[in-house]
Amino acid sequence: MISELQRQHSRGEYNYVAGDGYPGDHHSLRLRRLSSQMSIHDFPHYNPSLSDAGDSEAGDHGQPRDLRSLPLPMAIKKAKLKSRGIQVPVLSKVELWKQEKLKKLRKFQTKAREFLYFLVLWGKTIQKIGGNFGGGVKSYFLFLRFLVVLNFVSFLLIAGFVIIPSLVFRQVGTSFMNSTGNERCTIYEPNPPGLVVFYNFFLDLLSGTGFMEYSFMFYGYYKNTMVENNSFSYKIPLAYLFTAVFYFAFCLICIIARMGTAARVAVATGGSTVVNYSMTVFNGWNFGCLGETATKLKQKNLLYRLQVDLEEESLKKRAASLTLLKKFGLHSLRLLMALLVLGLNIAAFYGISYATTYSQEQQNKRVNKESDRIQDLFFEYLPSIVISVANFLVPLLCDQIAKVEHYSPSITVIVALLRAVVLRFVGLGVLLFTLWDQITCTGNMDDAKCKECSYNYASYACWETRVGQEMYKLTLFDLLINIAVLVLVEFPRRMVVDNWSSKVSQLVGRQEFVVSSNVLGLVYSQTVVWTGALFCPLLPLINTVKFVILFYCKKITLFSNCRPPQKTFRSTTSAFFFLVVLLLGWMLASVVMIYSIAVIHPSRGCGPFRFSDNMWLIIPTSFYNLSAATQEFLFFIGSQAFTIPLFSLSGLVMCYVIALFSIYGKSVGLLRLQLKRESRDKQFLVKQIEELSR
Amino acid sequence: MGNKQTTFTEEQLEAYQVMLESEEQRLHGRFRELAPHLVPLDYTNNPDVKVPLTLIVTMPELKENPFRERIVETFSEDGQGNLSFNDFVDMFSALCEASPRELKTIYAFKIYDFNRDNFICKEDMDKTLNKLTKGELTAEEVALVCNKAIEEADLDGDSKLSFADFENMISKAPDFLSNFHIRI
Repeated sequence: MISELQRQHSRGEYNYVAGDGYPGDHHSLRLRRLSSQMSIHDFPHYNPSLSDAGDSEAGDHGQPRDLRSLPLPMAIKKAKLKSRGIQVPVLSKVELWKQEKLKKLRKFQTKAREFLYFLVLWGKTIQKIGGNFGGGVKSYFLFLRFLVVLNFVSFLLIAGFVIIPSLVFRQVGTSFMNSTGNERCTIYEPNPPGLVVFYNFFLDLLSGTGFMEYSFMFYGYYKNTMVENNSFSYKIPLAYLFTAVFYFAFCLICIIARMGTAARVAVATGGSTVVNYSMTVFNGWNFGCLGETATKLKQKNLLYRLQVDLEEESLKKRAASLTLLKKFGLHSLRLLMALLVLGLNIAAFYGISYATTYSQEQQNKRVNKESDRIQDLFFEYLPSIVISVANFLVPLLCDQIAKVEHYSPSITVIVALLRAVVLRFVGLGVLLFTLWDQITCTGNMDDAKCKECSYNYASYACWETRVGQEMYKLTLFDLLINIAVLVLVEFPRRMVVDNWSSKVSQLVGRQEFVVSSNVLGLVYSQTVVWTGALFCPLLPLINTVKFVILFYCKKITLFSNCRPPQKTFRSTTSAFFFLVVLLLGWMLASVVMIYSIAVIHPSRGCGPFRFSDNMWLIIPTSFYNLSAATQEFLFFIGSQAFTIPLFSLSGLVMCYVIALFSIYGKSVGLLRLQLKRESRDKQFLVKQIEELSR
Repeated sequence: MGNKQTTFTEEQLEAYQVMLESEEQRLHGRFRELAPHLVPLDYTNNPDVKVPLTLIVTMPELKENPFRERIVETFSEDGQGNLSFNDFVDMFSALCEASPRELKTIYAFKIYDFNRDNFICKEDMDKTLNKLTKGELTAEEVALVCNKAIEEADLDGDSKLSFADFENMISKAPDFLSNFHIRI
């Protein structure tokens, strides 16, 4: 072997002789082809018998699989196959049959996978989008699909446990509690359904009043019916409450499960916040890229990525080399800008609050049916309009401010996203707070308006329905605005840019699909739906339909009006980020739900909880109807004798998992060091061999 | 193409167990398309026909690829880029969807190793980067990126990437398999 090496070395070639250099087959030797004539004699180190001894142990993987993984030229593979053909071991009939079955199973599996892939909702469309517009845009559509499925399943849940039983038991059931207290508070008269002029019908559809108000749509229609047979009892209020709570829990579980898969991908790639030049250089080019435009685009993408990374590096260097005075100046400028942004946000929130208050006042004043319906509609939608305007203007101004702040590109993106998130959620929060303010007279139960019925009866005969209507209006307006922007802005822009070639239109160019603001819009809509689901059980269904319409609209605008993005959006971490923001929205909605269930007095004139002081009180009341054994069991679970051991056990499990995690991290580091040392050992040994052979 | 049927002997078809018969014939059709005057329909006598590099890089799948010459050179026997049909089949089977990860890693390493010394040194990386960005980066930027990339990936500290370094780095890329894939 040493003389071989010598010979090879003197010929100026280097045959890389190693067992684990090329993984996959530890028994045979691998060779590098250089500029030499091909024949089996050029591979002196290739030992057929050795390799076959190893391969025949491979068992039922079959010959083709092994051959495929060899980096040898075709001629050698053919020769190997021939030689192997002579030496093929005699397989028993059982073995042969097993191999056949395995082959068939594998074929069936691939066929089944292909078929299932066909069934996946919008699978082909999303793949087409990913191929044409990249991973960032694709992640938006994947997120949208996830929300559609989530909403649809939630709707099925709500329909199954609340709507259908309500429908079925409405005539059959009995009311199981009698009214107590003030008779005046129980008067609730929504506009009675009757013959409606079409004009009014349409306006009612848009504002959730009229025929829609007293329907399955809103909380006010449901009664506290109860059905009791010998073996079966069903209380609508209990079902309503449990369904709402379970709906929230179900959404949380779905989000966290999806976060888990997204986090796994992000961790496996080592986190793409770490700039990875080697990955960009060696894994940047997609070999399947066809066509001139596609390749030019891919090139620009790569160029942009590298330039961004380089710019970040140079910015870091510049930041490190700033004098103290300059640093002070930069930081004070940034502080000033942050205060400016804060000021803008506060102005927006004040605008939202004022609009909501004014709108509520106008709606409460509406006694005269002859008043201008269009103006009324405008006042009703005033909060939505203000929120949309704020969500559009403030990020635009923040972008201009960011140009002054001189953060590095990646930090700029993150800061802009955070500001937009804060704006949207706090804006929604301000709207809800203003509503609460109106309904409960700022929590002051001694106020004249709220004293009698524990809520503002004069303005809100059925406040839950009103809150549901507001959420419904927000949802609807969001959809209408999206479609309006599509029709009135994006299509004309495309037509102008395509048909009118001037400097301005070239500068402006075709629309680019901005992923982040679209995703925030989705999260905002979903938060609105979550907040409103308690008061408007049909809202998840409406939202499903809305998101489906949105999917097709966005798809149409993407393919017709948008150009592919030149600036890539890191899609692995962004999927995780979307879910984190969605989780924040969920938390906001759950705060609202918990507060409504536990604190605010339900309307006395409508809804399934009209006779309780709290929505929550239905549970203790029903609790005492359970059998004694069940009561004792549930008491035990709630007692300290059970929960303290449970907490300590889960604390132990967490400590174990954390310890495991740190150990794995350390072993990865150690293995990496070992890898370094191994290659050094190899080089040392090769040098030794060379020296010995001289 | 069309109704012409390429002929192989039974033995040859058996030998190409690595690939289906229909795929084999389709590939032969594409191979013949490149140089119909060179490539015969009848392959039973194993004719020693090689299509030169200049014709192969005109294929639509390779035309826009910045590494097209390197790919063809890697799979050619003489290292000059002249492919026989065996080499042609070799190339597309290594780059196809079903090809295992280890095989693709090996060939990727070979492709990026311009001077074929079993290491990806700084000059190899320079050339790779220039091909990727079509020369739009300045020389200092190229040098900076190459230095950083080698810093990141080099584990044994010899300021060039051996196969082990390359493989370790590529193993962290989840989309390597789909990027290194030419569909024919």
